[in-house]
Amino acid sequence: MAKKKTFIEDIERTLYDIRNEDRSVYKSDSGLTEEIVRDISARKNDPEWMTEFRLKALDVYNHTELPTWGPDLSELNMDNIVTYVRPDAKMVGSWDEVPEDIKDTFDRLGIPDAEKTSLAGVGAQYDSEVVYHSIQESLTKQGVVYTDMETALREYEDIVKEYFMKLVPPKDHKFAALHGAVWSGGSFVYVPEGVQVKIPLQSYFRLNAAGAGQFEHTLIILEKGASLHFIEGCSAPKYNVTNLHAGCVELFVKEGARLRYSTIENWSRNMMNLNTKRALVEKDGIIEWVSGSFGSHVSMLYPTSILHGENAKCEFTGVTFAGHGQNLDTGATVVHAAPHTSATINTRTISKDGGIATYRSGVKVTSNAPFAKCSVNCESLMLDSESRSDTLPTMDIQGDEADIGHEAKIGRISDEAVYYLMSRGISEDEARAMIVRGFVEPIAKALPLEYAVEMNNLINIELEGTMG
Amino acid sequence: MTDTKEQIVFSEIPMRTWRWLGVNEAKMPACVLDEAGGGRLITVPKGTKAEAVVVYREELAGKIRVELEEGAEFHLIRAVLSGDHPHADVVEAVCEKDALFRYTAVEAGGSEAASKLFVNLAGEGSRADVSALYFADGKRRVDMNYIIRQEGRHTDATMMVHGAMTGESEKVFRGTLDFIKGSEGSVGREREEVMLLSPKVRNRSVPLMLSGEADVDGHHAVSIGKMDEGKLFYLMSRGIDMEEAKKLVVEAALAPVLTRIPDKELAGEIREEIEGRIADDK
Repeated sequence: MAKKKTFIEDIERTLYDIRNEDRSVYKSDSGLTEEIVRDISARKNDPEWMTEFRLKALDVYNHTELPTWGPDLSELNMDNIVTYVRPDAKMVGSWDEVPEDIKDTFDRLGIPDAEKTSLAGVGAQYDSEVVYHSIQESLTKQGVVYTDMETALREYEDIVKEYFMKLVPPKDHKFAALHGAVWSGGSFVYVPEGVQVKIPLQSYFRLNAAGAGQFEHTLIILEKGASLHFIEGCSAPKYNVTNLHAGCVELFVKEGARLRYSTIENWSRNMMNLNTKRALVEKDGIIEWVSGSFGSHVSMLYPTSILHGENAKCEFTGVTFAGHGQNLDTGATVVHAAPHTSATINTRTISKDGGIATYRSGVKVTSNAPFAKCSVNCESLMLDSESRSDTLPTMDIQGDEADIGHEAKIGRISDEAVYYLMSRGISEDEARAMIVRGFVEPIAKALPLEYAVEMNNLINIELEGTMG
Repeated sequence: MTDTKEQIVFSEIPMRTWRWLGVNEAKMPACVLDEAGGGRLITVPKGTKAEAVVVYREELAGKIRVELEEGAEFHLIRAVLSGDHPHADVVEAVCEKDALFRYTAVEAGGSEAASKLFVNLAGEGSRADVSALYFADGKRRVDMNYIIRQEGRHTDATMMVHGAMTGESEKVFRGTLDFIKGSEGSVGREREEVMLLSPKVRNRSVPLMLSGEADVDGHHAVSIGKMDEGKLFYLMSRGIDMEEAKKLVVEAALAPVLTRIPDKELAGEIREEIEGRIADDK
């Protein structure tokens, strides 16, 4: 008997694919030269040290090779990428002042609605610049800062100078260097000692221009005992040319602070998503990552947690869904660099229709981190044999007081489970849908309700039992 | 004459990763690899059953290739007990329909020891049953790269690795289960258990699982930790001293591999060798 195969619809993209006319007021030339970098820096009124920083990063970029591992990046030709696109809009604090077509885009994505009901602050970036930013007054009164990076660079220059690209230095890899040279936009969050931000903040990044790059920088600093939930969303309409996203996220979690960083990424399938995210966690601090990768043509994304203080903790929850034409190389890395640090990594990957999903991780325990504990669990589901699913975890453990466990599974939807559910009176389609929902449930549970619903919509699990 | 200092790549991971983890490749002195020569070829005829024991004591390198015809069964027992010189060796096996390749390996020698195992389950219903132990002490460096390629339909692979590390030793174990498209109904299991006995050891474990086939069932697990103190205290409460108790716990951990060695004399020699080294490591 031929085995039954499950058919799962692609992610519904219509909503994301609506593109606006490109009405940018300024676009840099495509490609990357010292003139372009100087020009971006001048237009952004960078302080002198930032211009210097950009030029040094450009030099590093020019002298750094592409990675020798991971997905093929040969399609990416920097000569065709426009690194800076200034939309025809100033940053404002009211949606009414945002130009109509841009506002409509964010309306369709549900951002202003979410702001009213469930967010304490919103930042919206369109191409290279942030067009909208708001934060509840009660938070401002407690000293919380949530603004775009350009404003932060003017108003909190000392803080930015102290932290900017200290965790992800340009020499880290080629795309970190590129980011350092041409970064634009992004969010800056500062939560003072002991302040608990109870309602999430959200930044949404939208890339509208074809053949452009988005290089937003997110810098979040949580002082001692502070807490925050930050949500990041990304999307772009589909074009036939390659777009590039090389953002950088730097998170500083001080003693006893707790940060949850959630991302639902749904870039279009012409996007190279080469993003770098890193957190430095001090004593008793906690970083929680929730990461959903659904979009893009190629992704290389491995949020890193450096557990730098005693008893620091990391929890990583990730889901990756690779469909036709997608090569999503995702995972996480954790560095245990202090005693009694602990980490949990829990991921699910799904591949279908020729999609390639790779789980890649690195867990390092340094010799000065006795009693480190780390538990990794990754499960992969392949929906057909046109697809690929690879798992490549590495553990590098020094010392004898570590307790490390890793477990991975790969497989298809089990016939036994389907038959069991059917024997209970559930239809075959519903049984399969239940199993797939169950498979991603650990991730859905970690998301705030509205986003769990969004993820379900994204996956849009329309199951049909077809004979394969 | 080869330059004695020249290092060449001896084995590579099937899929590369970050360079900072240092697991992408193993290099060995060219002069060591030159010693391997053409190696040995063992053909196991259709439907027959055989076993062979290979113990490396003085040799710098070796190469063995086993070809199992339909329904054949072969058990290769291979141990590295050589002293304080480098050692590198390769074992390759290819299985036709319903053939079974059993492999029992002991990595307990060589100042730096690199080994490579490649099993191709080419035929439908072919099986690989791999079990290895390593013991790394002193300043020893052990590098293992085991790959089982599951090409045929309904193949079955098991890779069980038990190890203990002490002194200032370093070890890399890469274990790959590679499900090729078309290997429908195949099953693969991989497990590594590492016991850490000294604060100066460095252990690297890389369990890879690659798949181009949806209808497979793959599982891998790694567990890395120190000696179970509960077991030690229990034994000590029974009047066994610390050193003896430690030896017993390590021995018990490595026993699943040692019991597979039919030659009791050889198994005894390996056990004594390891016990002696634990004692030296006080």
